[in-house]
Amino acid sequence: MTAAPEVLAELEGLRARVPHLTGAMVASTDGLVIAHLVTGMEPDGVAALTAAALGVGARLTDAVGHGGFRELLVRGEHGYVATYAAGPSSVLTLLATADANVGRLNLEARRAGARIAPLTGGPADRRERAAAPPPPSRSPLPSRPGHRPGSTNPGNENGVSS
Amino acid sequence: MTNTETALKDAMGSIEGALGVALVDYGSGMALGTLGGSQSLDLNVAAAGNTDVVRAKLRTMEMLNIQDAIEDILITLGGQYHLIRLLTGRGGNGLFLYLVLDSRRANLAMARHQLKRIEAELEV
Repeated sequence: MTAAPEVLAELEGLRARVPHLTGAMVASTDGLVIAHLVTGMEPDGVAALTAAALGVGARLTDAVGHGGFRELLVRGEHGYVATYAAGPSSVLTLLATADANVGRLNLEARRAGARIAPLTGGPADRRERAAAPPPPSRSPLPSRPGHRPGSTNPGNENGVSS
Repeated sequence: MTNTETALKDAMGSIEGALGVALVDYGSGMALGTLGGSQSLDLNVAAAGNTDVVRAKLRTMEMLNIQDAIEDILITLGGQYHLIRLLTGRGGNGLFLYLVLDSRRANLAMARHQLKRIEAELEV
């Protein structure tokens, strides 16, 4: 993918700014690695698992009527795995140690997600940049067919063609 | 004994020159509650950033082998005072109150005294 160097630069910026970050990855919502800074594990496996968790997360927010997927934070005994929406077709996954500053992680990752979105082909995520409360959003993943009729046409809802 | 919401309201209402206040968990860097703030003062950003300040001070004390606790931290800017007061006891461990004051309107001694009272009454 041609955008990979720019996405990788964004990940390197994150690693420099966020203490306790042990890995970072941008993957497509269907589980393919776009760029990564992950050592000591197989990035393809992490991306595939992220996609699976993402599917469940998106279904869950949809089921309770909380709109599209935004973030997923998992805390293990020895650290965090956090996944953030980066446009409609990609996600940013960060790995951090247990003593990470999650507030800081969230802030940096949300901004980075908004910057990565246009690089991976999706429209820039205006919701993260707007100062006003976000409007009801559609899922970056296709919703279950028939469940939310308004959101079954990804890419065109805002009149933005990618 | 007061809850978080009441304590934050108390701080904004009774402390002269208060621009914003937050109760922050420095284990996670996330705010348990915020009040005030503005477009130019995002209290969630402040919570995350000041978590690093508190952690750095605690680490420094550990390196210096100082067996003591932080009561409060004062940061003086050109036009603002930032007061950080760590909570003690009653489940408040790992939390701090963060108060932003307009230095032209605030009385620092009074603000510090009032924040100490609010902290003492706060039960999380």
